[in-house]
Amino acid sequence: MPKTQIINQNPIPDALPNFRSLGVTLRAVLLVNGMALLVALAQATSWPDMARHIMVISALLQPILLSSLLLLFALNPQITRLPYWRGVATVLLLVMAITLVIHYLADNLYILALEHGYFYLWRNVLLGSAITALLLAYFRLRARALSPALHKARLQALQARIRPHFLFNTINAVLGIVRADPKRAEAALEDMADLFRMAMAHNGDLVAARQEVKLARQYLALEQLRMGERLKVNWHTQDLPDDALLPPLMLQPLLENSVYHGIEPLAEGGAIDIKLYRSGNEMHLEIYNPRHAQGGHHAGNEMALTNIRERLALQFDVEAHYTVETSNDFYRVHIMLPYVKEIPDEHR
Amino acid sequence: MSTVDLPITVFVVDDEPPARNRLKELLTDCARQLSLELVGEAGNGREALDKLSAVRADVVLVDIRMPQMDGIELAQHLNKLPQPPAIIFTTAYDAYAIKAFDLHAIDYLLKPIRLGRLFDALTRARSAVPLRTEVLQELGPEPRKNLSIHERGKIYLIPIEQVLYLRAELKYITVRTAEREYLIDESLAALEKEFAARFVRIHRNCLVAKEEVEGFEKVADEDGGELRWAVKLKGLDEKLPISRRQQFMVKEFG
Repeated sequence: MPKTQIINQNPIPDALPNFRSLGVTLRAVLLVNGMALLVALAQATSWPDMARHIMVISALLQPILLSSLLLLFALNPQITRLPYWRGVATVLLLVMAITLVIHYLADNLYILALEHGYFYLWRNVLLGSAITALLLAYFRLRARALSPALHKARLQALQARIRPHFLFNTINAVLGIVRADPKRAEAALEDMADLFRMAMAHNGDLVAARQEVKLARQYLALEQLRMGERLKVNWHTQDLPDDALLPPLMLQPLLENSVYHGIEPLAEGGAIDIKLYRSGNEMHLEIYNPRHAQGGHHAGNEMALTNIRERLALQFDVEAHYTVETSNDFYRVHIMLPYVKEIPDEHR
Repeated sequence: MSTVDLPITVFVVDDEPPARNRLKELLTDCARQLSLELVGEAGNGREALDKLSAVRADVVLVDIRMPQMDGIELAQHLNKLPQPPAIIFTTAYDAYAIKAFDLHAIDYLLKPIRLGRLFDALTRARSAVPLRTEVLQELGPEPRKNLSIHERGKIYLIPIEQVLYLRAELKYITVRTAEREYLIDESLAALEKEFAARFVRIHRNCLVAKEEVEGFEKVADEDGGELRWAVKLKGLDEKLPISRRQQFMVKEFG
C-alpha cells in the first residue's frame, strides 16, 4: 500500500532556474546584496563604519556577482540542458572560477583595502560557492512551492474561465433555435465543443495567438447567438504577428467578463473592442467595453483578473504585467507580456 | 367555478430571443394536454409592465437577470396589480436567488428548461398563493430602481433617484418628487432599510434624499414654541422638520 502511494505521487522534476529571465536575475542580485548588507552590519561598529564595510565587500562582490550572472546568461541554453545535479555542479564551478579570476585581478589592480593572502582567496571562493548553493536551493524550493500552485491555479482557472451562467444559458439558447434553425444549432454546438476541449486541455504550454483569436471568436459567436444585435465586436488584429504565442485561454475569460459585466446589463447593448499587437519584444492585448453607469458587481471581474495575474506570474514572472482602467461607463484591460515566437516545425 | 374551464393565460419575459423562443415552443407542447394561451412576451421588465397593464395574465414566466429592470424587481411591481399574476422565475445559474427560492418555496425553472418541469409548474401555478412583497424584497440583493403605484389600471414607475422625500401619513406613504406626490402602500422602515444609500431619517415619519438636501433652517414648531431645525430640499419650498432626537444630524451634514 505505501509503495503505490509513493509511485502515485508523481514527483516534480527538479530544474535549474532560467538564468535569462529577469525575475531570476533580479532575485539573485537582491538576495546577494541583502546578505552583503547583513555581513556589513554584523561587522560594523558605527554607521560610517558600516558604509566602509559595504564599500570593501562591494569592491569584490559586485564584479563577481555581475560577471557570474553574465556568464550564466550566456551559457543558459547549455547549462539548462544538463541533468539537474550536473547543472548545479557546473554553476558552482563557474562561480568559483569567476571568484578566483576576479580575486586575482583585484589583487593586482585594486588599491583599495583588500586583504591579501591565500586564506582570503580560499575564503572568498568558499563564500562564493556557498552563496551560490544557497541561491540554487532557494530557486529549487521556489519551483517546488509553485508547481502545485500551478496545478491548482490551472484548475481554478478552469472553473472561473467558463461561467455556469454561460454554459446553461448557451445550452438553453441552442435548444431555442434547434427546431427553427437546426444548421445554426449544429454550428453552435461545434463551437461549444471546441471551447470546452481547449478549457479542459490542461497543459500550461503556450499556444499560437491566432488559435486564441479563433477560440475567442467562437466564444463570441455563441454569445451573439443569445444576445443577437446587442453584442457587437470589433477586432483589431492586423498587427498581430503570425508566429506569436500566448498562454492558453487568456482572451476568453476577459471577454466573458466584458459580456457579463459590460454588455449584458445594457438594454441597448454595445461593442467590445479587442486589440492584439506586437511592439518590439512585447505583446500587447487590449480589451475595451462599455458598461452600465450604475453597474454594481465587481466581484466577478476581480476573480477573473486575479486568475490571469496568477497565470501571468507563473508563466512570465515579472516580465508580464497588466493595467486596468475603469470609469463610470467603460472598462479597459491592457496586458503586456513577452513576445514569444513559435518554433517552426522542422519535421514538415 | 367557471375559471377552471378558461385557458391559463401565460406571459413570457426574457431578454434573450432564443430563450423566449424555447419557452414558446415548450408552451405549444404543453398546450396539447393543458388548456393555455400565450398572451404576450417582453424583452425586459419595463416592457413587461407596460404590456401587462393592458392584458391580464394568470402566469408570468420571468427571467431573473435582465437589463434595465431585473426579474425580481418586475415581480415586486406586478404584485401591485389588483389581481397579481402567479410568477415563475427562470434562471440559468443564480446561486443567491435559488437559495432564497428554496427557502421560501417559490417556484422556479432552471435553464435549460425541461418540458416536464414547465408543465408541472403551470398546473400548480393557478392554485399558487401570490408571493408576498416582503419575501420578494429579500430575494433581490440590490434595492429596486423604481417605486411603483397602481393607478387607473396601469402601473406607474417612479424612479428612485427622482424621489425627494418619503413621509408616512396615516395608512400610506407620501412619495414626493419635484413634480408631484404619490401615495404608496409600503412600510417606512422597510423602505429605509432598502434604500439606505439614498435616504436618511430626519423624523419618526420622514426620510429625505441625502443628495437633495440644500440646507437647514430654524423654524418654530407647530405650537409656535421653541425653534427647531428643519430641512430645506432642492426645488421644494416646503421645509421638513427634524425631530428632537435627530437634531444632531445638522452637524454631521456640516
